Amino acid sequence: MAFALTVNGFRYVVDVEPETPLLWVLRDTLDLTGTKYGCGIGQCGACTVHVNGRAVRSCSLPIKAAAGATITTIEGLSVDGTHPVQLAWKQLDVPQCGYCQSGMIMATVALLQRTPAPTDDDIDDGVTNACRCGTYHRVRQAIHRAAALMSPSPSGSVEEKQ
Amino acid sequence: MTPKKTISEAMTAHVEKADMDRRQFFITTGAVGGALVVGLGWPRRVEAVDVTTPAAPWYRESSAPEINAWIVVAPDDTVTIRIGQTELGQGVWTACAMMIAEELQCDWSKVRGEYASANRDAREKAPEWTLKNPAGPKPAPTDPRGGGGSGDLPATNERVSWSGVYRRMSTHRSGSVKMNLYFYQLAGAEARERLLLAAAERWNVPRSELTAKDSVITHAATGRTMRYGQVAARAAQLPHPHPETIRIKSAHEFTLMGTERHNLDVPSKVTGQAVYAIDVKVPGTLYACAKACPVWGGDVKSYNFNAIRNRPGVHSVVQFPRPDRGLIRDRQFSGGVAVVADSWWHAKTALDALPIEWDYPPYTHLNTENMQRALIEAMKAPGRELFQRGNVEQAMAGAARIVEATYDVPYLARARMEPGNATALVTDDRVDIWIGDQSPQETRFSASQIAGVPQENVYVHTTHLGGGFGRNGNGPQAEHAVMVAKALKGRPVKLQWTREEDWSVGTTYRAMGAAHLRAGLDPDGYPIAMDLRTAADRNAAAPERGLIPPAYFVPHLRTSNHFADFHVPCSTRRATGSPSNVFFVESFIEELAHAAGKDPYEYRRTLISRSTIVFKEDWLKALDMAAEMSGWGKPLPEGWARGIAIDDRRSNREEADVCTICAVVCTVSVSKAGAVRLERVDVAFDEGFGFVNPLSVRKQIEGQVAWGWNDAMHQAFTVKDGRMEQNNFHDFPVSRMREYPRDVNIRFFRTNHWLEGVGEEAMSQIPPAIVNAVFRVTGKRVRSLPLRKHDLNWA
Repeated sequence: MAFALTVNGFRYVVDVEPETPLLWVLRDTLDLTGTKYGCGIGQCGACTVHVNGRAVRSCSLPIKAAAGATITTIEGLSVDGTHPVQLAWKQLDVPQCGYCQSGMIMATVALLQRTPAPTDDDIDDGVTNACRCGTYHRVRQAIHRAAALMSPSPSGSVEEKQ
Repeated sequence: MTPKKTISEAMTAHVEKADMDRRQFFITTGAVGGALVVGLGWPRRVEAVDVTTPAAPWYRESSAPEINAWIVVAPDDTVTIRIGQTELGQGVWTACAMMIAEELQCDWSKVRGEYASANRDAREKAPEWTLKNPAGPKPAPTDPRGGGGSGDLPATNERVSWSGVYRRMSTHRSGSVKMNLYFYQLAGAEARERLLLAAAERWNVPRSELTAKDSVITHAATGRTMRYGQVAARAAQLPHPHPETIRIKSAHEFTLMGTERHNLDVPSKVTGQAVYAIDVKVPGTLYACAKACPVWGGDVKSYNFNAIRNRPGVHSVVQFPRPDRGLIRDRQFSGGVAVVADSWWHAKTALDALPIEWDYPPYTHLNTENMQRALIEAMKAPGRELFQRGNVEQAMAGAARIVEATYDVPYLARARMEPGNATALVTDDRVDIWIGDQSPQETRFSASQIAGVPQENVYVHTTHLGGGFGRNGNGPQAEHAVMVAKALKGRPVKLQWTREEDWSVGTTYRAMGAAHLRAGLDPDGYPIAMDLRTAADRNAAAPERGLIPPAYFVPHLRTSNHFADFHVPCSTRRATGSPSNVFFVESFIEELAHAAGKDPYEYRRTLISRSTIVFKEDWLKALDMAAEMSGWGKPLPEGWARGIAIDDRRSNREEADVCTICAVVCTVSVSKAGAVRLERVDVAFDEGFGFVNPLSVRKQIEGQVAWGWNDAMHQAFTVKDGRMEQNNFHDFPVSRMREYPRDVNIRFFRTNHWLEGVGEEAMSQIPPAIVNAVFRVTGKRVRSLPLRKHDLNWA
């Protein structure tokens, strides 16, 4: 079956079975491999992308439910790693193996769109992705850093731990 | 007598192809692989990715002449450094490059990494200059120039030879720095020497008048300078200098090593461009999803291909045999089937629908309970003695008091994020395999044996790994992929396990274990005799760590390992034997302190002070530092407590000078209902002579905090009917942001010895520190992990 969707600003028509998860359409049909397969059951968050602006676990979203949707993947954040969240991630050298980080970054971008200056509790509620390397210490610092970078007033307070 | 089959003959898979007309199949492939693009010109190909995509980290023949096998300097001064170790998040991509760049004296901002070639390693012998360590064949462990107890590389075994051009291409034993440093330094120094010789020749001045810094060669007398890129082509033609003229820096001359450097792979990991094996797409690839008998050692009895042959995209079913144990570290895996299709989703859903009957091995009566009983029984037999001093039984008989306890720990998976996968292309005379691999040389051997081609014709294209923790090189995803690709000769096959297959069938585990610990105390409460027995699977990794002997002074001491033979494949998981043994010993010592009515920090301090352990002062330094950092002894809110633990993770007594001493204090809160929260962690960590990249060490320790917490709180694999009961994140929990302590403090202290490592030297102390703190709040002594199975309410 053919499904139309907009991914990172480009419109595609893909011909796949309706139950095919969005994740596999992104990875294997559209070649956008920055979004990862981790668990296939919507638990780990490695496959997090934005569907109509919301962070969604794409491994558990059938393509028929994403038909006509506007989707942003890690590749759509910036072409050169200059999105504030990506900048913050580089400044704090967050990733270790890096496999979960596309999903972690997409979850963070969605959080900051909703909550531009999140507290630590907001972060705990908003970013529920699994990182087996245990990068959480730096993820938390990077989220605060990104919030400061995105803040309209440069004097905005930066909550930061050592 | 029938002649014995070769491994290649024995490991031949059977293919059944779909009746699907060839033409129809390609139409289907086209429909799936080629999306219609509507709108503006999107530069990205939607067909197959070119396998030499610029982001690919694997080895490529360089267009610029190489100075030596590790180093290519391009005319624009870009330095490509080839790395034999694999980046799985531990920072070796950067640390290995730093070890080379330090000696090369190149501009660090122009360095890019690339994996060394295991194929070239099979075809080319190690250059003579790499075989000679200027610090001597076995440098003193206190000599910061190359060594770490591994100045001599072990020679060869059947599977791996370290005599090829890239020497050691394993990423294991915390060895990426300590076991490689000297020849990485030599590689950098050798190349620097030839660049300088080429410049000396160009200017017609003596080499001794030249200096090099940041890729610029200077002749101070005349003020002339030349960039490396200008002289690299000539340097590549010069003969290798005599090994004895290659000078390696002393530690005080380092300018790059020891400074915090952002990791070279990080920019590609925030844009999604980093290439993991799962991202590799070779033109014409078929996708395979495999399932092996869930009880290890089993096989396929039958399957019904007719049930799925007309499903969309299905190409074939391949039945593959049990991998030869000689290829997989003598671990036992099962035979199974793979469904091959035009997309992985088609393969996976067809495999789900494929009726399979298994031929179970005689292990289906085993479960955690009866296996645990077998371990307890094993500890009643003599076992393998690790350490013996004095007369334990006699001293025990004269003790004022006996303390005795039995502990146990479960099987644990590494649970890395990237499910096992590999892409393989087998032809009559060559194998290509794209894989994230902790041991490309072993995979080269495996692929060669299965496909029946010489190792010189096997190309392992190494990618980054989505986590490792001891995983890759420990499980048969490479073997599965090569067997299936061999059955479909000429077609590249991407074999990818589901998460469930990876965790419950395809992996190896940290062994389930138990301990029986007994101590006789003197009237002051200090131990005069101790008998420490632990039991585990016979193929448990390093069951002696932490017991050879513990650092605490006990006049009469005996430690021993006891074994049971189970079918579950066990092997190296992060920190190998330490997490079990350090949990046992550091919990038990706390039980003794409690019995003695003494503060557990002071109690440890006294027993370490009395001992004759090597680097005793450093042990005390670590213990004091962690206690001081944590505010040990200062009041805490109700329901809060601190717990302490220490270890040095030495691997054997012969190399007692190689260790990483680390003390940890965990500050924990327990609600009255029994909810445990890790509030704060203070880590005092051995710096040895100094780190290569302190930033990576810090990150490794931060990660180990999460690992220790997960081991303590959440994780367990249990056996029922001979197979694992858990298989995904819902039943093998991995902690998230919410549970990571908000307050983590790490301090380093300088010592004068080689480090055992940095990637697994803090995590083992965290579970006992947590459990000890939980005891102080609740009065409940947890002797069986994980904590979540216990009711910890208190009031």
